[in-house]
Amino acid sequence: MQYRKNDQPIISVRNLGIAYETRKGDIHAVRDVSFDIYRGETVGIVGESGCGKSTLAYGLVNYLGRNGRISRGDVIFQGQSLIGRSREELRRLRGDQIAMVYQDPMTSLNPVLRIGEQMIEVLTTHRGISQEEAHKQCVAMLAQVNMPDPAKVMERYPHQISGGQQQRVVVGMAMLNNPALLLMDEPTTALDVTVEAAVLDLVNVLRRDFDTAILLISHNMGIIARVSDRVGVMYAGELIEMATVKEIFKDPSHPYTQGLIRCLPKLGRGKEDSILYPIRGRVPPPNNLPPGCLFEPRCDYAREACRQERPQLRPLKAGHITRCLFAEEIDASAWTPPVNLLPLVEDKSEAEQVTDTLLSIHNLQTYYPHGSSFLGLGEKEYVKAVDDVSFEIFRGKTLGVVGESGCGKSTLIKTIIGLEEKTGGEAIFMGTDIGEKVKKRDLLTIRELQMVFQNPDSTMNPSYSVGKQIERPLRRFKTVPPDEMRGEVVRLLRAVKLDEHYYDRLPRQLSGGEKQRVGIARALAGRPDLVLCDEPVSALDVSVQAAVMNLLLEIQKEFNTTMMFIAHDLSVVRFFSDYIAVMYLGQIMEIGPADAIYAPPYHPYTEALLSAVPIPDPTAEQKKIRLEGSVPSPLNPPSGCRFHTRCPRRHMLPDGGKICEVEVPPWRETGGGHRIFCHIPIDKLQTVAPVIHVKDGVSV
Amino acid sequence: MAITAPTPTADVVYEKPSRLAKLRESLAILFSSRVAVIGLSLVLFWVVMAIFADNCILHLNSCLTDNSRQSTPWLARYSPLEQFRGANNEGPSAAHWLGTDRNGRDLYARLVHGARPVLALAPISVLIALIIGGTLGVVAGYYGGLTDEVIMRGLDAMMAFPLILLYLVIIAALGASATNIVIAITLGGLPGIARLVRGLTLDIKTRDYVAAAETRGESAAYIMLVEILPNARGPIMVDAMLRIGYAIFAIGTLGFLGLGLPPPSPDWGSMVSSGMRYIQAGHPWDALWGSLAIASIVVGLNLLADGLNEESNRYR
Repeated sequence: MQYRKNDQPIISVRNLGIAYETRKGDIHAVRDVSFDIYRGETVGIVGESGCGKSTLAYGLVNYLGRNGRISRGDVIFQGQSLIGRSREELRRLRGDQIAMVYQDPMTSLNPVLRIGEQMIEVLTTHRGISQEEAHKQCVAMLAQVNMPDPAKVMERYPHQISGGQQQRVVVGMAMLNNPALLLMDEPTTALDVTVEAAVLDLVNVLRRDFDTAILLISHNMGIIARVSDRVGVMYAGELIEMATVKEIFKDPSHPYTQGLIRCLPKLGRGKEDSILYPIRGRVPPPNNLPPGCLFEPRCDYAREACRQERPQLRPLKAGHITRCLFAEEIDASAWTPPVNLLPLVEDKSEAEQVTDTLLSIHNLQTYYPHGSSFLGLGEKEYVKAVDDVSFEIFRGKTLGVVGESGCGKSTLIKTIIGLEEKTGGEAIFMGTDIGEKVKKRDLLTIRELQMVFQNPDSTMNPSYSVGKQIERPLRRFKTVPPDEMRGEVVRLLRAVKLDEHYYDRLPRQLSGGEKQRVGIARALAGRPDLVLCDEPVSALDVSVQAAVMNLLLEIQKEFNTTMMFIAHDLSVVRFFSDYIAVMYLGQIMEIGPADAIYAPPYHPYTEALLSAVPIPDPTAEQKKIRLEGSVPSPLNPPSGCRFHTRCPRRHMLPDGGKICEVEVPPWRETGGGHRIFCHIPIDKLQTVAPVIHVKDGVSV
Repeated sequence: MAITAPTPTADVVYEKPSRLAKLRESLAILFSSRVAVIGLSLVLFWVVMAIFADNCILHLNSCLTDNSRQSTPWLARYSPLEQFRGANNEGPSAAHWLGTDRNGRDLYARLVHGARPVLALAPISVLIALIIGGTLGVVAGYYGGLTDEVIMRGLDAMMAFPLILLYLVIIAALGASATNIVIAITLGGLPGIARLVRGLTLDIKTRDYVAAAETRGESAAYIMLVEILPNARGPIMVDAMLRIGYAIFAIGTLGFLGLGLPPPSPDWGSMVSSGMRYIQAGHPWDALWGSLAIASIVVGLNLLADGLNEESNRYR
């Protein structure tokens, strides 16, 4: 990527510092950040939560709330300093020259105004354009952000379009004034992977068509890799490395950047042949920073000098700056894992392939009644959250379930654990029928089935100490006699890599990753046979995510626990699972051994999912398949194959795939337990090329 | 070259905070809020006044049973019933700090003694309402469906009844006495508390830790009492403070309407109502002190509630 060094940058940030006033004095959330963004360039900022990424974005436009202020440095926007401007000037600038897109589109759209009214207002207010002209421009803009049927969308209210479309409207609205700078703060975090891919495509289009300078903030290395020209890595409020996207991923100089890349599961790699390396420790809070290098306490390469002085950003080579004192000496490729991180799972030997079925599900259905019909009058409608699902889980193995939100994966495990009642079909767990809700099950069955939850902040009861909460299942299932209770809790704490000091701590004193560990310890307390994990790592930072996944693997190996693992991240599921089921609209589309799912023949939906996954490798080549429209309502799912309304592969069938609309597809076996729910014959699906081509050989 | 020497991070040694330390921490937070300190001072002022009005505290038993007891005044200086001949409707003076009423009784003594029924009856009625209303609310919220409908519609019917009218009907039917005032105020506060607790329950029951308890097969009673209610305590406490304030208003109102404690016992509400007649004659003292007393304690409770709210928010 060529930066036009002779050009004036659109925005130039110089030694920016941002502080928040609190009762306990100022907290310096961002310190000493400098970078430039040129016209037509996308700069990605990446880092874990609490690193000051969002504060930085808000600070650029001096939109920091009442207790925040820019404590030092300067922001020069198109040659003029933004510091010390009046509120009114900044307001005009924000509307006119700088646009912002936030994580949740609904916070940017007014729910009581039609989309057209909101968009037109932008133009009439800032540009003084007539109503008709503004309307025309808005329709054109909606078409430009790939909105189907733009004229009609103008008449709709925000809640009448899907989340991905809302975000496209927000982006379109931001681009209406043709701003010089677009700030995007986690613009796709709330979206499904296929929608995310479409929005990211849009970012690339904007840069090409409008020559806008874009600052994109994300915690996801894959997203950064897909759209950025240059990448800045933030750590504890400071910029610690900045380089072109290819440099950052190929030759990261700072140990933190190296760590971030190392802890990501590679798509297509499983637990058998790769390990995740978490970064130990956690980000220091801004009011308690180490005296030397901020990363020193977590750094594998730390030396005495790192403890003595705070390193400054320094050029390493052309276009590559770093904040590490020993960047030249550190060779990331020669890094060896610390001794306590040995491979967790040995190679699967053939003899080990026992197929002892632990759970078998046949034609399971879970429907929710929709709306309340008065006194049972009128026909009742049902949301068919899980419809006709069948699969088996073998002892000691992991079944991963992937699918976009609303595909029924959460309802599926809630039905298995008994939080929801099934509508039809059967679920047999170790020979006993578990078709009823948990209240009707006997204690033994309850004990064998436990669950790990998604949200670390609500998985623990804030009123009780860690020890009390792990103790409760022990007491309830009488796993150990009362006098051995404390010892057992400590043993469980150790199993999840927490020491016994945690016994008396309250949830508010724990970090997200620690809470999730306690949640795992609590689920394991009854020594269950089957643990159901509902997105256990998706709310965690990547480094913590790696640690928690390693922990789950270790536990699985030690206790031979069977797991069902739900996630929306395809790399995480691939890494973790032996078998994978792909769900769409309440049905399984494809199921089989993990490596078979990630290689042709694919179900067309799986193929589309894989082509949407953001890959943390800018050199990877990925097929571009984008699904049209949004997921249909589960109240009234499409006839025949549920995927037929969006299927990009129907043309492979004679007659343009008429059959898909009429007939339910057959299950097509490819052998080895791999089944695809599709009308297209296997030999035709087999001709589809792999979706992703990575240089080092693992194509998916 | 690779330098691989992972230094084990020393875990910060964590000591279990003692109960005293926890209390000190909570108090420090409470006292860091100026609003809460003002509120607490106002409330404590009246509590101290009520307790040490006379020497009753030394022989509680005879005090509570014997109405015709002669106790030695402490803070109150005089007995609230003692009539000073020829000193009717006087303004504040050295002998009578706040003046006298139409019967020549010392207003300061009556004011201080008047704090007693208020500070006894209001918290008791709120506590009872809290127990009953809280139970109804958590049950309605947790079970939902028909149970919720039945409970909440019943309470809605009660809420639809004007509050003052409800008090009047109850007191008129049962007669004016301390017990009946408690019954009236309890019934009046019950629907509001039930609504609040139901709302909190609806929110808390969606948390994962409640689902975790359900997947352990815990009983409904366990989930409601152990998992849900403790996490609703912050807002409930703040609401209770405000409700004690309302209850004091209600007691005052009942006294004003002549439905409070039977005369001649001192009562802020009846002080206001009987003093009203003399305002135009240039003797506003009776009504003034009574109103100020009610206002100050209600404001104090409100401020304290605000302070508590701040404290409970901090730990959410």
